[in-house]
Amino acid sequence: MDKMNKKFFQVINNYRIYFLCSLVFIAMAIFVPNFLTVYNLTNILKGMSLNVMVAIGFTIVMICKELDLSIGTTLTLGAMFVIGFQPALGWGWSLLIAVLAGALVGLANGFLVARAKIDSFIVTLGTMTTVQGIIFLYGKGYALNATDFTVADWLETPIIPFLPPRVLITIVLVLLFQVLLARTRYGRGFYMVGANRETAWLAGLNTEGYVIVAFILSGITAALGGALFAMSLSSATPTIGTSSLMIVVAATIIGGTSMAGGKGSILGSAVAVLTLTILYNGLTNLGAGYEIQILASGLVLAMVVLYEAYALYRADKVKGQRPELLKEVRMLQEGSKGS
Amino acid sequence: MLVKSERIELNKRRTKTAGWIEKFGVYIMILVLLILGTLISNKFLTIDNLANVVHAVALLGIVAVGVTFVTYSGHFADMSVPGIIALSGMVAVDMLRYGLVVSLASGLVTGLMVGLINAFVVGKLRANPIIWTLAVAFVINGVVRWLYRGEQIYPDLKAGEKLATAFVNLARINIGGAVPITVVVFLVMVIIGQLLLTKTKFGVQLKLIGSSYEVARMTGVNVTGMVGLAFILSALAASIGGILLTSLVKIGAYYNGVGYDFRAVTAIVLGGVSLAGGKGNMIGVLGGVVVIGLLNNILTLLGVGTFSQTIVQGLVFILVVWFNTYSLRKLGKADG
Repeated sequence: MDKMNKKFFQVINNYRIYFLCSLVFIAMAIFVPNFLTVYNLTNILKGMSLNVMVAIGFTIVMICKELDLSIGTTLTLGAMFVIGFQPALGWGWSLLIAVLAGALVGLANGFLVARAKIDSFIVTLGTMTTVQGIIFLYGKGYALNATDFTVADWLETPIIPFLPPRVLITIVLVLLFQVLLARTRYGRGFYMVGANRETAWLAGLNTEGYVIVAFILSGITAALGGALFAMSLSSATPTIGTSSLMIVVAATIIGGTSMAGGKGSILGSAVAVLTLTILYNGLTNLGAGYEIQILASGLVLAMVVLYEAYALYRADKVKGQRPELLKEVRMLQEGSKGS
Repeated sequence: MLVKSERIELNKRRTKTAGWIEKFGVYIMILVLLILGTLISNKFLTIDNLANVVHAVALLGIVAVGVTFVTYSGHFADMSVPGIIALSGMVAVDMLRYGLVVSLASGLVTGLMVGLINAFVVGKLRANPIIWTLAVAFVINGVVRWLYRGEQIYPDLKAGEKLATAFVNLARINIGGAVPITVVVFLVMVIIGQLLLTKTKFGVQLKLIGSSYEVARMTGVNVTGMVGLAFILSALAASIGGILLTSLVKIGAYYNGVGYDFRAVTAIVLGGVSLAGGKGNMIGVLGGVVVIGLLNNILTLLGVGTFSQTIVQGLVFILVVWFNTYSLRKLGKADG
């Protein structure tokens, strides 16, 4: 009975994000008026796609046991470049430049982390600041506007119910990377590198290459997400990505990616972003302002980090204890008392 | 071909030089920047300008001194610093109507509370310090925006003209008619910090924890308490900085203190405190803070805008960390 209970909780914990998502969805459907309308649900999907896209790369980096704090500014860089270059070069080239810029930031991060062996937190803190400077220098601190609005209309109009192209692209990318990471030999390598770099290296994996690729992917998905978001708005501001870092970090950890590396899934992160987006949407419909959103996601992140830390602390406390032996000792003691 | 003993001698000398550069390298940088500044502008090497440089970074220095304890203990950095700065400043303004003493005390207590929470979660539960303090920063940001509906608060509207003037003048006191109080507080904190690190049990144990957490724990060091104390000191320093900053800008706002986390870490790393922990001193941090000030000053004199200054700061930061890590590896003190 005890064992079954334990197993039950383990299953719940492993799939906690799916339970959480359903729970939040049901709660919002009950309490929030006009929540279950096609318009609102489409809005939720649109609202999630930017952060889901960014979360893909961030999750891969986190699975590698690294941290990428530069995603917020990288996504802004992508947004600024795609809008900034559009009048001169057209959408195709400007999108390419934006994504390349993201890849370049990722490459710099990856190189400094993997080859120069600097802690990823420090490196990305540095690149975050540098990129922030570049953004302000490029846009002179102003918002940029596109001159062609056809793409925005196309990206935002649902082609199948609920699913505008921007959402579709996001979902396809999530599924693609989920399969790539969980089902291919190369993808599994990320987990190995994150879980134990030494072992991965001894097993013949190019660990440095993996880390660099993880950061490049993070840069690309962040820039692409930012670029698509800006395209759908036809404009970009230098502060477009400020709240994303918090939401993506929170979602990735809630979605089951471990801070200790080697554990997590992109689908989990995506569903976690969806959960947070539903939460914001519901709160906004109930009349709560932006500050409540920030507070809510901060609290959720803090709770999850606290829970994870507490679970590890508990596990550490009982490490090395043998419950079955303890039980035997107790039985013997009771037996001796009885006689 | 060198004889073995000669080679050891050479290695020793090399290690010594590397160690020396690591300890005082930041002062060489200051010297270079001073020379560079003098060559660039004749306005640079004046007492007025140099005093301005120190004044401009004194607040950053106050915060950096606190964060140094966290870095020294091998826990990277306290990312909740900007949140604490904003929150303690706003609480101080809000409490001003009960008098200046209450206002200052409540500001400090606010910082202390956040520090206690960090101390418990990181020290006792061993949560990842970066992610946790980042989460705390987000929560504080949310709380402050929610409590004050995302608005700024003004001392004179909260507490009347008289108390507001007293509060606003707080950061404008000049000791001896010439030295601003922020600079004095900064220097006093550097001295106290240096004494704490080198002359007390706390400092020595913190060094051991920073060098190797497990060894410290096995040796019987109260790791929970010492790491906790480091986070509490960091929060306390940040709230002192927050109150002074709020007094200086005359507004309590949720965006006060943005960027202080990064700039404090930059100063600390520039000052030769190793991010791996257990290495460095406050005199170096003082140097690191001054380097940031000089760098900004020279860039301004060159006519470089604020935005480009951010880029330069970021690049300098990465370069210094790179050099730091590289020299550590050469010394064989870091793995990899």
